[in-house]
Amino acid sequence: MRVAVIGSGIGGLLSANLLAESGYYVEVYEKLPFIGGRFTSINYKGYEVSTGALHMIPHGNRGPLGKLLKRLNANVEIVDSKPEGEIYYNGERVKLKKSLFPRKTLFKFYINVLLSKINDKSLLEFSKSIDEFSSKFLRSFLGWSFSIFPEDISFSKIIPIYKQILTYRGPGIPIGGCKAIINALKENIESFDGKILIKTRVKALKPGEQIRIFSNHVKDYDIVVSDIGRKLTYKLLGMEYESEVESRGIKYTIALNESFIEHTGVLFILGKNIAGMNEVTNADPNLGKRVMLQVHQPMRGDVKAEIEIGLREIREILKGYKYEIISIQSYYNDWPVNRVKTGLDIGNKTQFPNLVIVGDGAKGEDIEVDGIALGVMKALEGFI
Amino acid sequence: MIEIKGCVGCSLCMLVCKFNAIRVFGEAKIDEEKCVKCMRCVDYCPVDAVNIA
Ligand SMILES: Cc1cc2nc3c(=O)[nH]c(=O)nc-3n(C[C@H](O)[C@H](O)[C@H](O)COP(=O)(O)OP(=O)(O)OC[C@H]3O[C@@H](n4cnc5c(N)ncnc54)[C@H](O)[C@@H]3O)c2cc1C
Ligand code: SF4
Ligand code: SF4
Repeated sequence: MRVAVIGSGIGGLLSANLLAESGYYVEVYEKLPFIGGRFTSINYKGYEVSTGALHMIPHGNRGPLGKLLKRLNANVEIVDSKPEGEIYYNGERVKLKKSLFPRKTLFKFYINVLLSKINDKSLLEFSKSIDEFSSKFLRSFLGWSFSIFPEDISFSKIIPIYKQILTYRGPGIPIGGCKAIINALKENIESFDGKILIKTRVKALKPGEQIRIFSNHVKDYDIVVSDIGRKLTYKLLGMEYESEVESRGIKYTIALNESFIEHTGVLFILGKNIAGMNEVTNADPNLGKRVMLQVHQPMRGDVKAEIEIGLREIREILKGYKYEIISIQSYYNDWPVNRVKTGLDIGNKTQFPNLVIVGDGAKGEDIEVDGIALGVMKALEGFI
Repeated sequence: MIEIKGCVGCSLCMLVCKFNAIRVFGEAKIDEEKCVKCMRCVDYCPVDAVNIA
């Protein structure tokens, strides 16, 4: 049985590895000159500037991706963040812990968890009903983790993710960054005689008993796994699909002479447009020749205006530190933070039984690449 | 002729240009004096925004 995977993002490569391991002959098509999509890095001025991700795995070793990588015997090491998170609020820093939040707010949260089945509301409504600190934390958490705003998601959609956090806890950083995971998957795929073709764009798809792929060559496959979201996949089929709503964001990569965060966890920034930052060089010094600080800002307005705000906030927060902006990267349209906003995913199936969607256009109920790992396993359920 | 259309500002082109010809602030700007038309930025752009003839 022959499988084509469209796109060598983490979703595509996880799928390719699982299928190749199960005995399929797999070919991965990648239009760009590199593999990994938004989950790898390019060395620039001595820093592993990522193409997308902040070099973090939401639940570290323990979560869905960590488990899947273990199952695949992928040769990667993930360091758990310690502390998991810290909060920056009005110029002060405190470690993230439950007791920071008023009992009344926690109580309201639990009540809403119970009530959400019968009376679901938007997170914005909930966030307006709680104290200012907790409300700002919620906003920062959503911005950092999903690049969305409270009005983008309903309360009930956050519950499964909250449960995943209780089970699997906080983030981890792969040694070697995102790229190390991509390389490990590539090695695995090739060890099963799978092929990864770079600079090989899929130009069109023709559905049928076998799906025909039009690329540099024309070839038929029993199964096609698409890692490019529903909208772009349907376009290849010559069909319309407009209702995909992506999440947008801006990432700043900053070099520092001395460490600002001083740990391997997330620093959540409250009450600002930027949502949080991390310093992955504290886990793996090889990711940058000096300290590499990454800042994330969810975005919904004008890109340039948002960047100006972000830079101003960074200047304020890093006051007294010597720093250099290495890169400013904005993400939307067909190169977004997520192809589908968290909470709006509609599963992996298409109207064609031998064509499935993976990646962040079809996540399972978890954060970012952990959600992608869940989605991949769901998509391939009938095939492996 | 250098034309940029549909750029999202992801900076991949800037990261790979060996001639330091690209600046990105929400969108890419190519300095035609520095550019040697090596086409690297064209190949790396994930949204096919760069056109160099
Ligand atoms: C700023 C930012 C920060 C983030 N931080 C984190 C984080 O810290 N942790 C985390 O878990 N997640 C994070 N994410 C999200 C994560 O990076 C993405 O969800 C994930 O990388 C998406 O992977 P994917 O496989 O869905 O798609 P992609 O990585 O986009 O892969 C799709 C691939 O398909 C290729 N392709 C497209 N069209 C074609 C075609 N016609 N033919 C052939 N190939 C094609 C593309 O070139 C691309 O390589 C972040 C994202 C951004 C933007
Ligand atoms: S064509 Fe080459 S030199 Fe010119 S901007 Fe692009 S990458 Fe740089
Ligand atoms: S790679 Fe393409 S989308 Fe990204 S900044 Fe350059 S021109 Fe714009």
